[in-house]
Amino acid sequence: MANDLSAASAAKLTSDQLVAKLAALLEDFTQDWDHEFEGQMGRGTTLLADLGFESIDIIQLVVAIEEDITHKKVPFDKLLMKDGRYVDDLSIGQIADFLVAQL
Amino acid sequence: MTTKTLFIGMDGCTYTVLNEMTRDLPGEGVTMPFLAGLMAKGVRAKLRSTPNPLTPPAWTSIMTGKGPGEHGVFDFIRAEDKGGEVYWTLYDSRDVDAEMIWSIASRAGKSIAALNFPLTAPPPKDTNGAIVPGFIPAKHLRRNSHPLGLFERIKQAIPGFDPKELAWDFDKEKQAMETLSDADMENWVRYHLPREEQWFHIAEYILANDKPDLMAVMFDGTDKIQHQAWQFLDPALMPAERSELYNRVRGVCREYFGNVDRYIKRLVELVGPDAQVFFASDHGFTATVEVLRINSYLEDLGYLKWAVSDGSEQALRREASDFANLDWSQTVAYCRTPSSNGIYIRVAEKPGDPGIPQKDYNRVRDKLIEDLKQLRNEDGEPVIVDVLKREDWFQGAHMKDACDLTLVLRDNGFVSIRNLKPAVVKRPNPIGTHHPDGIFMACGAGISDEGMVGKRKIVDVAPTLLHSLGLPTPSDFEGKVAESFFSETWLSEHPVKIGAPTVRGGEREKSEEMDDNEKKQIIEQLQMLGYME
Repeated sequence: MANDLSAASAAKLTSDQLVAKLAALLEDFTQDWDHEFEGQMGRGTTLLADLGFESIDIIQLVVAIEEDITHKKVPFDKLLMKDGRYVDDLSIGQIADFLVAQL
Repeated sequence: MTTKTLFIGMDGCTYTVLNEMTRDLPGEGVTMPFLAGLMAKGVRAKLRSTPNPLTPPAWTSIMTGKGPGEHGVFDFIRAEDKGGEVYWTLYDSRDVDAEMIWSIASRAGKSIAALNFPLTAPPPKDTNGAIVPGFIPAKHLRRNSHPLGLFERIKQAIPGFDPKELAWDFDKEKQAMETLSDADMENWVRYHLPREEQWFHIAEYILANDKPDLMAVMFDGTDKIQHQAWQFLDPALMPAERSELYNRVRGVCREYFGNVDRYIKRLVELVGPDAQVFFASDHGFTATVEVLRINSYLEDLGYLKWAVSDGSEQALRREASDFANLDWSQTVAYCRTPSSNGIYIRVAEKPGDPGIPQKDYNRVRDKLIEDLKQLRNEDGEPVIVDVLKREDWFQGAHMKDACDLTLVLRDNGFVSIRNLKPAVVKRPNPIGTHHPDGIFMACGAGISDEGMVGKRKIVDVAPTLLHSLGLPTPSDFEGKVAESFFSETWLSEHPVKIGAPTVRGGEREKSEEMDDNEKKQIIEQLQMLGYME
């Protein structure tokens, strides 16, 4: 029930609100990594180029987003795959826009 | 608050090695003198593992008191056969469809600590105590530790704490089953020394500071080292004349076991004489001497067809992976992974689907069992000594997810799924493999001093630990309290009680069958991991 309510409230978030939530999540997610990114994470921050993500990290991030933000499973394949191949990188803004469309 | 129950897990630990490490050997002395003392005044039994003695299902049975048919964990990877394709994913704590003792104890108002146990990530948020999961990469250990802030607390409190040294490294762990050079093998054993030291320091810190009612830590170097270095540990394989390499590698192995003895001593001293201390392993160990290429044999019998390789780098990588690479349109029965030691029979859900019609299932399966038992090695010995039907061994809500047939090989080996001939070949040297009999031992206040007693089942560990904590056995547990582990006096003062059934927490509630998008997502995740092309 709690998850249902959380999922319902997540569905009302705007893209900008989701950017803020994702940035906060990623600040926590990567706080003890060895990446060289400095400054504020925002809509344009990218997972691979800026934060040094590897494939296992994307899997863990999907789980973290589903547990902490959406509170339900989300078809991330629609975001991660384009024309049958993996996207080269993803920005926080792209993830936020995708979530708005999915929730 | 004082710790009532200390549980030390030792992955793959066997009396074959433990008996050697706890006795006085010429030129070596006693490698584990403290444990030797505990064993001398306590009780122990062989512990029968799950039908396929494998880490994920076996530790899950230890933590839930239920078999794989009920808890739903059968292998490292989970797969769904959907007509023309097989979908793969990895098991995690959300796949465990049974309540773990950590949650049962928490609900009863007890505090717990569970360190380095598999299938505990992501950790249930209702846990009253600490969870630092095993089998998780270093970068993700902090977020998968419970409660929030625990990881930082550990980091600040323990000098030399290094998550990279502590956590699961996928690239390194792959070496467990690879053929290594002498130098690499020695390094492989050494790699586990600082790793285990890190887990010990966390356990020591949590135990000294939090004093949970149930304190549990698992050391898994035993399994990893025994896979590669079995020939240096099994007394039956000791050479008449020891080479320099033998002495060197055995020396590092003994250093590892000596360290574990030091960890045990410190943890036992911390809980004090009023506590009860338990040890268990998920399975034992033994030597495997031959390789059964099971899918190759099934091809000979006409049950499967291999996927046609185009010779590309991608295809070669797929061929070399540990996931069966088959022509699904022409495959009736096959083995998915080496660790499963099992065979799936494909049943067509509707006409035109690949697989056999449901009405032919029993006939085909009986014929397959007969075929499997016919297999002989070059010396004429039967290779497969038993074939377990899933309804006989995996009864429960998840029986349909079990292999149709589980193979027991004469040397307890794991099968190979490589596309190579011949189907059976001798190994150049024996290596370590899982034996179904592990260890279960106890000592401390109220514990019997009988020494070796009758064999127990792996599902008995959970109710025994709960009983030690003063909690009843949930009525839906498969396991029973190992009453022979307790003194008569203690048992008369603490009679075994059966209590309410377990609760499947909201977080552990298994999700319904994945929809198509979820399946696609999983496939892509595995592709990113390099498991699939």
